[in-house]
Amino acid sequence: MKYVFTLVLLLGLQGCAIPNTLHIPYLHSETQVSKKEQTCVICEDDTSEFDDEFGEEETNLYDPLEAYNEIMTSFNDTLFTYILNPISQKYAYVIPEFMRIGISNALHNLQFPIRFTNNVLQAKFHNASEETVRFLVNSTIGIGGLFDPANTQLHLYPHKEDFGQTLGYYGVGSGFHVVLPVLGASNLRDIVGLTVDGYLSPLIYDKRLIKYKIPQNYTQSFGIYGWDAINKNSLHLGAYENLKKDAIELYPFLRDIYEQKRTSDIEE
Amino acid sequence: MKHIILMIMIMTVASYSVEEQNIKPTLNNKIKQVIQILKNPSLTMKQKENKSIKILDPIFSYQTMAKISLGKKWKTLSKEEKIAFTRAFEHKMKHSYIDKLKLYKNQKVITETPRKVKQNRITLTTKIIGNNETYKIINSFFKNKRTNQWYIYDIKLAGVSIIQTYRKQFAAFLKTKSFRQLLKSL
Repeated sequence: MKYVFTLVLLLGLQGCAIPNTLHIPYLHSETQVSKKEQTCVICEDDTSEFDDEFGEEETNLYDPLEAYNEIMTSFNDTLFTYILNPISQKYAYVIPEFMRIGISNALHNLQFPIRFTNNVLQAKFHNASEETVRFLVNSTIGIGGLFDPANTQLHLYPHKEDFGQTLGYYGVGSGFHVVLPVLGASNLRDIVGLTVDGYLSPLIYDKRLIKYKIPQNYTQSFGIYGWDAINKNSLHLGAYENLKKDAIELYPFLRDIYEQKRTSDIEE
Repeated sequence: MKHIILMIMIMTVASYSVEEQNIKPTLNNKIKQVIQILKNPSLTMKQKENKSIKILDPIFSYQTMAKISLGKKWKTLSKEEKIAFTRAFEHKMKHSYIDKLKLYKNQKVITETPRKVKQNRITLTTKIIGNNETYKIINSFFKNKRTNQWYIYDIKLAGVSIIQTYRKQFAAFLKTKSFRQLLKSL
């Protein structure tokens, strides 16, 4: 779910409900294929110069789990539409936005070990030190991370890195695409990443690391992540539906934007 | 007569689009205007949509976007099909853009310095700074050889290229279905 959310967060701006039918009158009129370019439809402008940038459109993508992935995508979509989203809407109605932002900040702050470790592993020491300052400032002055004075006062921005990105940084390919139940789009590399980050995260229960972990059992861990998901979604209501409208078919669309997003994250 | 029409068209092209040194101020100015429109309480949502689109339209080359998104298939189309596809694609893009505008909630927007990636390519990054997140949008411009003006041919939202996404989707769609069906689905 984390990545579905990240994507939704990143691709949409911020939430408000969107009516289903949009009527844009001038788009239907015959005369309005951009006047400025009407001449161009006739002349044959060559776009092959763009091919380098966009690559072959028909990449023979290796997707052995395609059938399963499609089913899991619709399952997650249904789960989101009929359970998570209605809960988030009610939640947003009850809890004021500043509190939800505070909760989001605090949970983000607690995930500091993941960001710190992966910045170090990628030799991004400057970013790792900024993350450390952010964590120290926000945990103390920012009252347990509820506020983000590191951002607002010191202009230190977060540097999100996870183990999937670390693997990508060292040249590990993505492997085939896997849609995880509830968590959403992923691939072989990022599943390994999620597992490693799970150990680093203080929010995921592990018997052997009980002193480091906040939840004391799986139920608590699940509760925290569920809360996080609802809280995050409440700050971006409408964004996923908005994004989905650009899809011709949902699964290949979500797969493609996930992989593009991850590639871009790794390159940064 | 033909020449006069052509001249008028060329002149319109020139007056609409953007010269290299003006890319940043033009985009900045347009963003400012759109934000003002979106914040204006006396306008209905539809008025806001139409006004915003009118302001942003001249810097987009829907024609180029449509061509790139269709890839090799474009060359196999008849003139009528090309026009029909461009029209449908333009409609789709505007629809999508308007939807994204509706999510705007008083965030601050800043524009960075344009970066010339190639002789005829410039990228301009805008950042949308929200309450607890920042989104990066990269606007890609190309130079039209005939007019020497710059147009947007792609937008990357948080690392995801809109045109690349369409290109992939259209290619996958056309593997099993016909161009007519694609046109319909748009």
